[in-house]
Amino acid sequence: MGRITEAFNRLHAEGRKGFIPFITAGDPDLATTEQLLIELSKAGATVIELGVPFSDPMADGPIIQRASERALKHGFGLQELLGVVSRARKSIDTPIILFSYFNPLLQFGVHRLARAARQSGIDGVLATDLTPEESAAFAGELRAHELDLIFLIAPTSTDERLELIARQASGFIYAVSRAGVTGTRENVSAEAEKLVKRVRKFSNLPVAVGFGISNRDQVVDVQRYADAVVVGSAIVLELERVAGGSDVVQRIGDFARDLLPTNE
Amino acid sequence: MQLLGAEVREVQAGSKTLKDAINEALRDWVTNVADTYYLLGSALGPHPYPLMVRDFQSVIGKETRQQIVEREGRLPDCLIACVGGGSNSIGLFYPFLDVTSVKMIGVEAGGTGEQLGQHAARFNANGGGRPGVLQGTMSYVLQDENGQIATTHSVSAGLDYPSIGPEHAYLHDSGRVRYESVSDDEAMSAFQLLSRLEGIIPALESAHAVAHTIKVAREMKEDEIVVVNLSGRGDKDVNTAREFLER
Repeated sequence: MGRITEAFNRLHAEGRKGFIPFITAGDPDLATTEQLLIELSKAGATVIELGVPFSDPMADGPIIQRASERALKHGFGLQELLGVVSRARKSIDTPIILFSYFNPLLQFGVHRLARAARQSGIDGVLATDLTPEESAAFAGELRAHELDLIFLIAPTSTDERLELIARQASGFIYAVSRAGVTGTRENVSAEAEKLVKRVRKFSNLPVAVGFGISNRDQVVDVQRYADAVVVGSAIVLELERVAGGSDVVQRIGDFARDLLPTNE
Repeated sequence: MQLLGAEVREVQAGSKTLKDAINEALRDWVTNVADTYYLLGSALGPHPYPLMVRDFQSVIGKETRQQIVEREGRLPDCLIACVGGGSNSIGLFYPFLDVTSVKMIGVEAGGTGEQLGQHAARFNANGGGRPGVLQGTMSYVLQDENGQIATTHSVSAGLDYPSIGPEHAYLHDSGRVRYESVSDDEAMSAFQLLSRLEGIIPALESAHAVAHTIKVAREMKEDEIVVVNLSGRGDKDVNTAREFLER
């Protein structure tokens, strides 16, 4: 059983809900990313999503686009990124997944990636622009290395498509709260709850909801019906705000803790 | 476009070229999918857009096939078209694919040089072109060693794009169509030559096809027929042409 499944089983046994923070690797630099992984784990992350920066982040709004641009200025590749994960792995046991567009993974080589990711302590991969129709070879490589393949679903996904995705997904399923790109929003749409109910007809995997969740009220509301909540842009925006200060890591840790219900 | 009633938005993201405009269009579309129609003027992007655009554009190839037979009593020996995303070329080529005697050449933007960033020749392996995934399509993509998409250069905006319609990638790999590139300078010379000799000002994109046609025609017999697709008018390019020629 993988670390992701274990983490959700533990939560379930304790009657708790999960928290999945997202950061972009290399924003503001890789050394900070390593410390942030450790800090977010301490702050109570169930799983951490580590974004692989990409030149053309089609599914992302301006906040994560800017983070990608900042990270790309350092010019690192997946090898260096995975090095950060292996170093953080010495201190933390929290599952970490790569959140990436497919091209950087494809160019690294999917076989090589699966092996290197496993060795570095990565637990799963979410490739935003890899459709289930095209994912068989990639899924096979990940499975062979005991890595989970996490898929996005959206309110626009038909039942047929949810079923197709459910057949290939493992670890957890990531439900996009509404049609659109990543970014903070005023309200979480009612569509998210309907989507979570709908996908449970096809899968017993835990369901996380993300895209647009940026404060504690929204976290509490989503945790009412989903197994976990993903917070990305809000954390990345805070990181942009505090970057350059001396206590960046501590402040992001505090920001993450403030997002969680007070009884946690 | 504004005269016709459209709101035109400038793209400030990324490298501010065609690929960034496509990213923004896709982002807008997925956000407003319930009441928005997405369309792209090239044989690119997620399925089924490349096929739809090919089928619409293939009117040019069907008419060419009919008209050349009416005029010359036979099919042409060679077809030449410029390839950015590849819509005018796939439209011209598609109705001829089954006729093996018809040679086809797609002409990419060679820009100012061979290095990544200086051109938009996706099939130039030495210039950073290799299979990749961009904007919902797997095709040849200009990219760096980490899979980050490269910036491109061409004097013609319509060819200035790091990937190419996926059907062209297939026709390239199968060998059915040959792909060549011509430089900014060669395209600009052809632009002037066609203007002077024929009184036709071609789009700078199409001028790439004209430039290559001049090269190819020299090697052909006098009674052979070559069709070159003038996919656009150069009226839109006169400012670019003036700047280029006054350099």
